[in-house]
Amino acid sequence: MQCGIDLGSRNVKLVLMEDNAIVATRIYETADFYRTYGRRDAKGLKVDFAGLGLGNTGRVVATGYGRNTVDLVGATVISELKAHTNGACWQTGLTDFTLLDLGGQDSKVIKVRGGKMVGFETNDKCAASTGRYLENMAAVLGITIEELGEYSENPVELSATCAIFGESELIGRIVEGFSVAELGAGVNYTIFKRVKPMLAALISEIVVFTGGVALGGAIRGMIEREMGVQVIVPKYPQLNGAIGCAVAAG
Amino acid sequence: MSRIGITTTVPVEIILAAGHTPVDLNNIFISDPAATRLVEEAEEAGYPRNVCGWIKGLYAVVVKREGIDKVIAVTQGDCSNTHALMETFQLAGVESIPFAYPYERDYEALKQQMERLLAALGTYWEQVAAVKRRLDGVRAKVAEIDRLTWQENKVSGWHNHLYQVSCSDFNGDVDAFEADVDSFLVRAQAATPAAGGVRLGFIGVPPIFTDIYTYVETQGARIVFNEVQRQFAMPGAVPDIIEQYRAYTYPYGVFGRIADIQPQIAERRLDGIIHYVQSFCFRQIEDMVFRQKLDVPILTIEGDKPGKLDARTRLRIDSFIEMLR
Repeated sequence: MQCGIDLGSRNVKLVLMEDNAIVATRIYETADFYRTYGRRDAKGLKVDFAGLGLGNTGRVVATGYGRNTVDLVGATVISELKAHTNGACWQTGLTDFTLLDLGGQDSKVIKVRGGKMVGFETNDKCAASTGRYLENMAAVLGITIEELGEYSENPVELSATCAIFGESELIGRIVEGFSVAELGAGVNYTIFKRVKPMLAALISEIVVFTGGVALGGAIRGMIEREMGVQVIVPKYPQLNGAIGCAVAAG
Repeated sequence: MSRIGITTTVPVEIILAAGHTPVDLNNIFISDPAATRLVEEAEEAGYPRNVCGWIKGLYAVVVKREGIDKVIAVTQGDCSNTHALMETFQLAGVESIPFAYPYERDYEALKQQMERLLAALGTYWEQVAAVKRRLDGVRAKVAEIDRLTWQENKVSGWHNHLYQVSCSDFNGDVDAFEADVDSFLVRAQAATPAAGGVRLGFIGVPPIFTDIYTYVETQGARIVFNEVQRQFAMPGAVPDIIEQYRAYTYPYGVFGRIADIQPQIAERRLDGIIHYVQSFCFRQIEDMVFRQKLDVPILTIEGDKPGKLDARTRLRIDSFIEMLR
């Protein structure tokens, strides 16, 4: 048994693998996870693996935001970028591609050649162009994040991708009378505009798109249309980092 | 004798020849245990949040602390924020003397700037030449610290940074600085060479992060080239002081810096380069040029306020080193 844990900013993702196949997956709210299963002792963060109800987890490999802030007792910690590279290679079977991961509070672009990371970019130090921005905007529009994720036609022009300032700009547009579909498309398009320069710097013919944001179809379509590349969303976009950890535990 | 603050490296020979004490305000700011507080004090005085942390630190060092009599402010070749910095010094009643590195690297224009400084401080070329000979000896010793860093792996990236960056003002006391260099050299020569690991270069202005050199070493890498700090130490002495400050690359645009960096990548066998940029600085734009012209992996990191590396920057450094390994 191999266990991979991705301690993300919004969710903790856990994957169990055996014989190169996924046998169990879990997604927890980050705060809930630490409250329910975590305990701090002198050595670092201790997770109550028995409490997770997964039986014997075998060797544990973990990653998380800034691997040096993660100190999981009994786990080998690898860097986030390495975990995501591993996960995308395993999930797609590809070795040459550009990985775009849009998560809860950060975005990453990794250029992969021969199954190895050869270049990377990460977002500015704020939650712009991430899942958190989308969550806030969906709340302002009064729709679910799933619904927001499908709007791509006739985007309204929005300039701010800041998760906070974006709100007031969006409200301004609502007052101007645009439809929810146009507003939602505008929100998605600002994400695309924000990641486009990072992607352009490290582009490949195939873009593997992961992270919670990849669950919606709109941004994927924008990347394909505007950048002329094939975009692949693997089966478990949100679990990509955890899968990469589980693979590393093998 | 006055204590003359400088906003970046200037022809320090002139200050010393005039019998004054040069004080690099950047070094005072960043080595202050309450450096963060200095930035806050400048913001409380009205400096905008989205302005370079160094400028705010320099302001507070001069206006909110004591001991600086006047300031030589470099108005061209370093940072255009210095214009407004001078104006706020004036507002606070602190005299400043402008100094401009001519963009075209013109000999006569640079000579004229230096002559204005001679007149302002009250000294002569003959005295300046004598001080330069004295400093060239100290600089040669600092160059040896640099050589011991990359060629013999006996000096850490931090010490390489520290001794070279200190050559902007020789810590205000050339004799004491030289004695410190001498004793460091004795220890360094006897040190055990660091083993293997990823070899990094550091380009860009000196970092506002206080722990980057030690941090990269914990990740199995060493910084064996500090671009701008090495320039502060004026490598390769030339007899003519005006030529020396023409050869100094930092104030004259990015392509001259690239010509300086390129041979160092090969000679020092650099695996990668960390390009440090300051938040809100025009030099962030020059990252484009470095990425096109330097044929080595580059990681660009950005710092805003003084302090330790944040988790995100640590993650990026870790991944970069991992990639180069």
